[in-house]
Amino acid sequence: MIHFELAQPQNLQELTTFLTKTNGSSTPLAGGTDLMSLVKDGIIRPEVVVDLSTVPELRGIRKDQVGVRIGALTTIKELASDPIIEKTFPGLRQAALSIGSPQLRNVGTVGGNLCQRPRCWYFRDPLFTCRKKGGSRCFAARGRNKYHAIFGGGICHIVHPSDLAPALISLEAKVKIVSPVGEKEMPLENFFTLPSVSVRQENILQPGEILTEVILPPPSPRKKSIYLKFTERGSWDFAVVSVAVSGVVEGQRITKPRVILGGVAPIPWRLPGFESKIEGHQLKETAVAAAALEALSEARPLEENRYKVDLAGVWLTRAVLSLLS
Amino acid sequence: MNPLRPEPDGLTYLEQAARQEPVAQPVSAPTKEFKYVGQKVRRVDGHLVVTGKAPYTHDIKLEGMAWGKILRSPYPAAEITALDLTPALSRRGVLAAVKLTTGRVRYIGEPIAAVAAVDEATAEEAIQSIKVEYKVLPFVVSPEKAMEENAPQVLDSPNVQKLFEYTRGNIKEGEAQAEVIIERTYQTSIEVHHPAETHASIAQWKNGRLIIWDSTQAIFSVRDQIARSLNIPASQVRVIKKYMGGGFGSKLGLNDHTVAAALLAKEAGRPVKIVLSRRENAYCVGNRPSSRITIRGGAKRDGTLTFLHMKNYTGGGVGRGDRCSEPLIDIYRCPHVLVEEYSVFTNTCASRPTRAPGHVQGTFALEGFLEELAAELKMDPLELRRKNYSDKNLGDTGIPYSSKGLLECYRLGAEAIGWNRRNPVPGQAKGKIKRGIGMATQIWWGAGVPGTVADLKVYPDGSIEAICGTQDLGGGTRTYIAAIIADVLGLEPQDITVRIGDTDYPWAPSSGGSQTTPSVGPAFLDAALKAAKELKAIASKKLNCPAENVEIRNRRFIDKSKPENSLSFSDVARELRRVTVFHGERAGLPPGFAYNSFGAHFAEVEVDTETGRVKVLKVVAAHEVGRVVNRQTAESQVVGGMTQGLSASLFEERVMDEAEGRCVNTNLHDYKIATFLDIPEIITLFVDSIDPRINNLGSKGLGEPPRIPVAAAIANAVFNALGVHPAIIPMTPERILRLLRPKEEKP
Repeated sequence: MIHFELAQPQNLQELTTFLTKTNGSSTPLAGGTDLMSLVKDGIIRPEVVVDLSTVPELRGIRKDQVGVRIGALTTIKELASDPIIEKTFPGLRQAALSIGSPQLRNVGTVGGNLCQRPRCWYFRDPLFTCRKKGGSRCFAARGRNKYHAIFGGGICHIVHPSDLAPALISLEAKVKIVSPVGEKEMPLENFFTLPSVSVRQENILQPGEILTEVILPPPSPRKKSIYLKFTERGSWDFAVVSVAVSGVVEGQRITKPRVILGGVAPIPWRLPGFESKIEGHQLKETAVAAAALEALSEARPLEENRYKVDLAGVWLTRAVLSLLS
Repeated sequence: MNPLRPEPDGLTYLEQAARQEPVAQPVSAPTKEFKYVGQKVRRVDGHLVVTGKAPYTHDIKLEGMAWGKILRSPYPAAEITALDLTPALSRRGVLAAVKLTTGRVRYIGEPIAAVAAVDEATAEEAIQSIKVEYKVLPFVVSPEKAMEENAPQVLDSPNVQKLFEYTRGNIKEGEAQAEVIIERTYQTSIEVHHPAETHASIAQWKNGRLIIWDSTQAIFSVRDQIARSLNIPASQVRVIKKYMGGGFGSKLGLNDHTVAAALLAKEAGRPVKIVLSRRENAYCVGNRPSSRITIRGGAKRDGTLTFLHMKNYTGGGVGRGDRCSEPLIDIYRCPHVLVEEYSVFTNTCASRPTRAPGHVQGTFALEGFLEELAAELKMDPLELRRKNYSDKNLGDTGIPYSSKGLLECYRLGAEAIGWNRRNPVPGQAKGKIKRGIGMATQIWWGAGVPGTVADLKVYPDGSIEAICGTQDLGGGTRTYIAAIIADVLGLEPQDITVRIGDTDYPWAPSSGGSQTTPSVGPAFLDAALKAAKELKAIASKKLNCPAENVEIRNRRFIDKSKPENSLSFSDVARELRRVTVFHGERAGLPPGFAYNSFGAHFAEVEVDTETGRVKVLKVVAAHEVGRVVNRQTAESQVVGGMTQGLSASLFEERVMDEAEGRCVNTNLHDYKIATFLDIPEIITLFVDSIDPRINNLGSKGLGEPPRIPVAAAIANAVFNALGVHPAIIPMTPERILRLLRPKEEKP
C-alpha cells in the first residue's frame, strides 16, 4: 500500500547526518508500533524511513557513576525485566508493564514511547485536518472530548500518551540528544513542549536531532516510587489518567516528592503545588485528598471530560497513600 | 476408509488422525444412544485453523488476480453532480473502473465507484484520482437531533417512522389493576461490526459462470441476490466460503463490495479481490442500531404484572433499526401490553442484524425494568420473574412452548452464583468499592429451517463424505456433522470428510438466527439413519442374522446375539458396489407449538464508586437449548457470546462528531473491545433436555442466546451494588461517575 525507502545507517554519526540531510522527508523508525499506524492511516507520509535498529549505540541498559543509562532502542519488555529497574525504580517498571500488551511491549521502545504521537482521535483520523496537522482548528475543543486534556490545552487539546514519561520525570530522569554538531543533556521534564510553543510537535527535537539515551540518577535505597494508571479496559489502553509519584518516605512523611500526572495534558503534567502541600507532613487520607482537590482546581475540563478531574483527584490520593503504605 | 485420499484442505485422513488426541473426553453422558453427540468433541479442523492452513477468504489468491478498491463518499449527505472515471482508467496498471452510484449519497462511506488494478497500491492511487463533484447537503447523524422538527431530512420520507406496533388486552385496564407503577428509560449505543476478518470477496468469471469467494454467513443469499442484482440466472453463480474469521450479522447477505468485485472482474477479464480495510469496515458494513426504550408498567403488590407499555426509538442510520419488543411481548405472563416502535433515520450507514438483533436491546430494557420494579415491590428479583413465569408464548396468551427449561436455568444459575449473597436491598453494599449481583432472562428462536438438505455419500471402500451447502462461522459446524454421522454409523468423527461452504452443494439456510445446528444437524442425522438402515440390511444378509440384531460400533457391523460374528465397515460398504448417496432432510416443525430457546445469566460485579470503573468478577450462564450437540463448542459459543456482551456492556460504542458527521473511533484502539484481562470467571451450564418435537436431534440453536442477557445482567448487578440503575450501555467510568454525582451537580 505505502511506498517508502528504508535507510539503515550503521552508526550514530551516519544517522544524525542522514536525518539532517533529509530534513522533513525522513522519519526514524524504532519499534514501529506507533509509526506504522501513522503511516497506514495516512497521518504522515515519509519518503524515507530510517531504521534505528542498525545503530548499535542506541541499545542496552547500563549503570555507571552518573546513574543508569537506558538506550533509546531498549524495548519496553527489556526495561520491565531489567533487575536494576525492578529493584530500584519500581514506579518505572509499573509504568513499563502498564503499556499496551505483551506483543507491543516486545517491540515498542523507550525512545519510541517518549516520542510517540498523541492518540487524539481527530489527529489520528485522515478526514480531520486539525491544527496539529496544519489545519486551523482543534476539533476536540467543541467536539468529542472525553479523553482530552484538562490542563494546558488552549489551542490543541491532546494529551501526551506516554506512560514512561511521567514515571521517568518523577524519578528526575534526563535525556541525551545527539545531532551532527554534538550532544546535549537535559531534564526529561524540559523535553516536552506545550501546543502553545509548537502545535505541530510534542517535544523540542529539531531536525537532525535524535534522542539516544535516558539517564536516571544513581539508585537510592531510600527513594520510593509508584505509577498508577487508570484505563477503561484491562489491557491495550492508554491512560485516561495516570499518576507517578516518587520521594523519600519515612513513616507517613514524604520528602522531596515529585508528582506527575499523565493523560491529562499535552505534556506530562507536574503538580509543584501539590508536591509542596504534601512534603514533610504526617499524611492522612483527608489531607492528601484536600491537597489533590486544590491542585485540580486549576483544571479546565471540556464538555465531556469533567470526570477526568474527579479521577485525577482519586488517583493522586491513592498513589500517595500507596507509596506510604 | 481411504487413508490416502487427500482432503481438500491438504491433509489425508491418516495425517489428520495422527495429529489428533482421542476425540472424546469422558464426561457424564446426557443421552445413551450417542457416543459423541452431547460430549466434548474436539474440532476436526482445529489443527488446520491454529496452524494457519485453513483457507480464509482473505487468503485466497487466484491466477491473474487483480485488486479492487472502492471510492466512498467523504460526506454524510451530498448530491454527486459529476463523476469521471477517466483519470483512473488512464493510469498505468489500472484494469477496470465502474460507477456504483450516480445520484445522492446519504452516509460517509457510501460506495461511489470502484477500480481494479494490478496491485492494491495502484488501485488505491487510482480511486484517489477519480474526479467527483459533490453538492454538499445538510445532514444529521444523531437520532436525538434527527427527531427535531427542523432536522435535515435523511431519506425521501420523514426521519421518524413507525416501525412496529403491538397490542393485547387494554393497558388502561392493566393500569387500573396495578398497585405499583413505574416508568423507566433505557438506552443502548451503536455497536459496530468488527469481525476479526474484515469483509472480503473475490469474483471470477469462468466460462460464463460467476464464481465468488466471499467472507459470508449466507452463501445462498449472496448467490440469489447477486444474480438478481446483475440480472443473470442464479444457476450461473457459484458462491464459496470455506473458513470464516467471524460473522455476527453484517455478513448475512450480499454486500456492495461483492457486486463491485463482480462488475470489475467482468470488465477486467480477470479475477478481482476486494478486502475492506478496518476503517471501511467501521464505516460501511453496518452495526447494531441504538435504542431508547421507555417502559411504563405495573404490578400488584405480590408481583403479578398487570400491564406493560413500551416505546422505542431505534437509530439505524439509513436503515430501519431493530424491533426490540419481542422479549417484552413474549417472556412474562402479562395480560395488557402495548408496544410502539419507531425508526429514526440519520446520515450514517444502515444498521444490520447484529447477533440477536433487537433482543439484546429489548432485554436490556425489559430486564432492567423488572429489576427496578422488584426493588420497588421490595421483592427478590428472581422471585418476580418466577411469579410471572409462563408456559405459553405471547405472555401466556399464545400457544404452548414445545419445551421451556427456564425454571431450571434459574435454579442452576442462582445456585452457581450464590444468589443469596446479593444485597437484599440494592445499594446497601458498604465501602468505596461495592459489589453487587444481578441476573437477566433470555429468550430466542433458533428452531432451524425445515427443508434443509444434506447428502451423505458412502464409497465402496467405506469412506464417507458429508456434503451440505451450509457455512461454518467458526462455531464448529464440521465437527458436529462428523460427530452425528460417526455416532450413527459406528465410526469416528475423523473418518468423515465434511464438505461445506459451496452453493453447488445441497441447500442450507443462512448461518444467522442460531439456525445452523438445528437445520443442518437433523438433515445429516436423517441421512445417516437412512445409510445405517441400508447398510444394516446388507450386513444382516452377510452375517446371516435379522437386521434388527445388527449393531454398528468401532467401525464394525456386529451381530448382537453373537458378537464374534462381525464384518468390517468397508466389507459391508463394498457391497454397495458404487458411490451411494443418502439424502437427508430436516423435517417440518409440528404446528401448534412455539419453539424458543431460553437462558439466564447471573453476574457479579465490583463498582469503584470513586472512579466509576465496573469490573465484572463472575458470570454464570445457564442455557436451555434442547440437546447440546457438542459440549466443547457449545461452551466456547457461550464464552464468546458472553464476552461480546460484556464488551458491549462496558466499552463498545460508536462515537460520532455531530458537527462534522463523522465517526471518530474507527480504529480498534479507539473503538474499544474487551481484552483478555477484562474477561471474568465464566461458568457455563446447560439444562440437559431434549425437545420432543423440534427436530430429530431435539436441539435448538445456541449462536445468539449467550449474547442476549449479558448487558442486562451486568447492569442489574451494578444496580444491586449502587441502588441506582445505569440505564445505558456501555457503562463507562464517565457515565457511572455521572450517575453517582449528587443530583444538583449534574450538568
